[in-house]
Amino acid sequence: MKLQRTLTGPAGAVLLLVLLMSLAMIVAGTSPIDGFTALFVGALGGTSQLGETLVATTALLFPALGIALAFRGGLFNIGAEGQLLIGALFAGAVGAQMHLPGVIGMALLLLLGAIGGGLWGAIAGWMKARFNANEIISTLMLNFVAAAISLALVSGPLKGPLATGAETAWLDQTYWLPTLLPGSRLSIGLLVALAFALVLQWLFSRTVFGYELRASGEAPEAARRAGIDIRRITWLSLALSGAIAGVGGATIVAGELHRFNTQLSPGYGFTAIAVALVGDLQPLWICLAAFGFGILEAGGLAMQASAQVPKDAIHVIEGLIILVLAARRYVTTRIEPAAE
Amino acid sequence: MTDAAALTLRGIRKSYPGVVAVDDVDLELAAGEIHALVGENGAGKSTLSAIAFGEVRPDEGSVQAAGTVGLVHQHFELVGRLRVWENVLLGREPRRGWRIDEDAARARVRELAERNGLAIDPDAIVETLPIGVQQRVELLRELDREPAVLLLDEPTAALAPAEIAAFFATVQGLAARGTAIMIVTHKLQEVIAYATRVSVMRHGRIVARMETASTSIDAIARAMVGGDLPSVATRSASAPAPCLSIRDLRAGSGETRIESLSLDVQAGEILGIAGVEGNGQTTLADAIARMIPYEGTIAYADGRARTGIIPQDRHREALVMPWSIVDNAILGRQQRAEIRHGFTLDRARARTDAQRIKDRFDVRAASLDVPVRTLSGGNQQKIVVGRALIDDPAFVLAYNPTRGIDVGAAALVQSRLMEARNGGAAVLLISFELDEILTLADRIAVMYRGAIVGTFERANVDRGAIGRLMAGLTE
Repeated sequence: MKLQRTLTGPAGAVLLLVLLMSLAMIVAGTSPIDGFTALFVGALGGTSQLGETLVATTALLFPALGIALAFRGGLFNIGAEGQLLIGALFAGAVGAQMHLPGVIGMALLLLLGAIGGGLWGAIAGWMKARFNANEIISTLMLNFVAAAISLALVSGPLKGPLATGAETAWLDQTYWLPTLLPGSRLSIGLLVALAFALVLQWLFSRTVFGYELRASGEAPEAARRAGIDIRRITWLSLALSGAIAGVGGATIVAGELHRFNTQLSPGYGFTAIAVALVGDLQPLWICLAAFGFGILEAGGLAMQASAQVPKDAIHVIEGLIILVLAARRYVTTRIEPAAE
Repeated sequence: MTDAAALTLRGIRKSYPGVVAVDDVDLELAAGEIHALVGENGAGKSTLSAIAFGEVRPDEGSVQAAGTVGLVHQHFELVGRLRVWENVLLGREPRRGWRIDEDAARARVRELAERNGLAIDPDAIVETLPIGVQQRVELLRELDREPAVLLLDEPTAALAPAEIAAFFATVQGLAARGTAIMIVTHKLQEVIAYATRVSVMRHGRIVARMETASTSIDAIARAMVGGDLPSVATRSASAPAPCLSIRDLRAGSGETRIESLSLDVQAGEILGIAGVEGNGQTTLADAIARMIPYEGTIAYADGRARTGIIPQDRHREALVMPWSIVDNAILGRQQRAEIRHGFTLDRARARTDAQRIKDRFDVRAASLDVPVRTLSGGNQQKIVVGRALIDDPAFVLAYNPTRGIDVGAAALVQSRLMEARNGGAAVLLISFELDEILTLADRIAVMYRGAIVGTFERANVDRGAIGRLMAGLTE
């Protein structure tokens, strides 16, 4: 029983993860020691490496926090990728045209990201509240709509005059988010993300809205009988969830790329689901989980270069993490003693 | 009547993390006996019967049965959309090649039903049948396996008085043909009336074994609680004044529809709604709680009164099980001015309220921060009732407020409801336990098929007449 508890706890999950990664490295023909060395040196071995890790951390943290908000309300938002993309598109499209003082411009870019992502989340929320459309399907499908719309817009009307691919024009330098870590690409977007985590923690634990949101997620019928307007919670939480992911998209535009590009997310919105779950849907733990996944994302490239482990192995591992988590949840429910 | 042992349990022990559910229990069932197993909630009855059935493996001890063991669950485990014969023979269907031999199956179920004196149509869809008939299906399914031992878990919880008598006639027939029967129940009148022997469990042990011929309800109840019975607070004089008025209420659909129901609840009285489950009580409660649409009027004398609602399903409708007592103490009250300050909740106030509920209702919990899921049913219900009464409501709706909780907790809950009434609250008590209504109510209204079919003043209650009305019989 005790061993079982340990294996199903977080330590067990990490242990299992290390074993699985070792296995993947052996399959790829590298010794696990070389593989892990390459991974950690590549992720944390210098300023620019650490910077890249934290850039990935930031990019994962926003959608993960948004996903956590929806999940806590009992809504499976699988659409953070699309919400992030639309947020980035709003910021990129308007940012390339605007003429404002720097700080106000930066704030406006983030706000535009929130509006874009929020709108995208609200569509699924409205469909759920109005027609009881399954949000897993609608948010997932809206990802494809978001990708297609943004590709169509930046291939045509929003395409930058000098752009070669599907990109908007450059943002004016005054709107570039200041660098946080000199010698790296890391912007103050990370601080914004951490601030969001703190606000979300406060929202969950202290506010009436957070209380009603959690009640709706944990016990919908009890929540309804407690006078909570479930429909309002539904569309509002998906809108807020999308808004947070959208701000993430805007920070990628304003912080790193300095213009919108349809390839700006290599699936952050999907990996963020695992980040949110590993972080147990608790904002502060999610920060830690995002850093862990940031190491995998950034270190994976270095691992590929120096240890000849393909970067796809990292994606295999991220997939395995989700499986391990799902299994862990299943195992822990099974061993819980029957009540009464 | 007692000859060979049909079921022998020796030195049974079973513990779950933090609690010993069954502690060194020996129990022997003779073929042909009807043995009652009684005890308060959490005494270990359910665990013991699950062990006897083979569903739970004991940590220590042995289980020996003379043949198969059948179990009829309190909450039926039937497939509602399938036919009666499909449910009865599920997993054991007679086959012809790779297909089910439907004719043989129907004949087998019909023959089984006749042999046991249970009238049933093998082709009826189970979910369309009344509760009492559904139970026959559950019983037939077990009987098809010709069990040497039959365990019945709270078999009469959902039955009307007339159905209960018919049910026990069947059970006695089975026993006469040699099946050993064990009934897990908390209805002591039925124990005295129908069982031959009774074993009383408390804290995981069997603390008394009695022949029902030479004992009394009182003696069994005292053994269950380990001392004298808690008494309910006394009724004081009150000055009735109008509080809630329901006129021409129409709500719900199907079997539980309410057609033109009117009733009044006065301040300072408990109005008891007696009736068998499934006669529209849930529709009435949901309409009053404004959880479903309705036509007609539900009005309070002073506009919008403060209401306290005790829903019938505490797990699903009243509590957030993974949350602490503190968080649950403000559920449904989170928008009240004393809890909500702008965007935020007054956490200190929530804690004070939780402490008040814990003190006033004697909630047994290690701290206010433990998840309510870890508490016993009785303690969970105390929180639900405590929360409903904490703001001194003018109207209280209590739907089965003591269902499935132990005697001590039930007496406490009933006392607090009586005190609320004495303090001037109007209390509408909907209960499937007639005894509870007879104990608490100032007036009794009998509900049958969505209508009030009779009302009685406390002074001239006629238990027999109420029972007949509950069963739909008219004088």
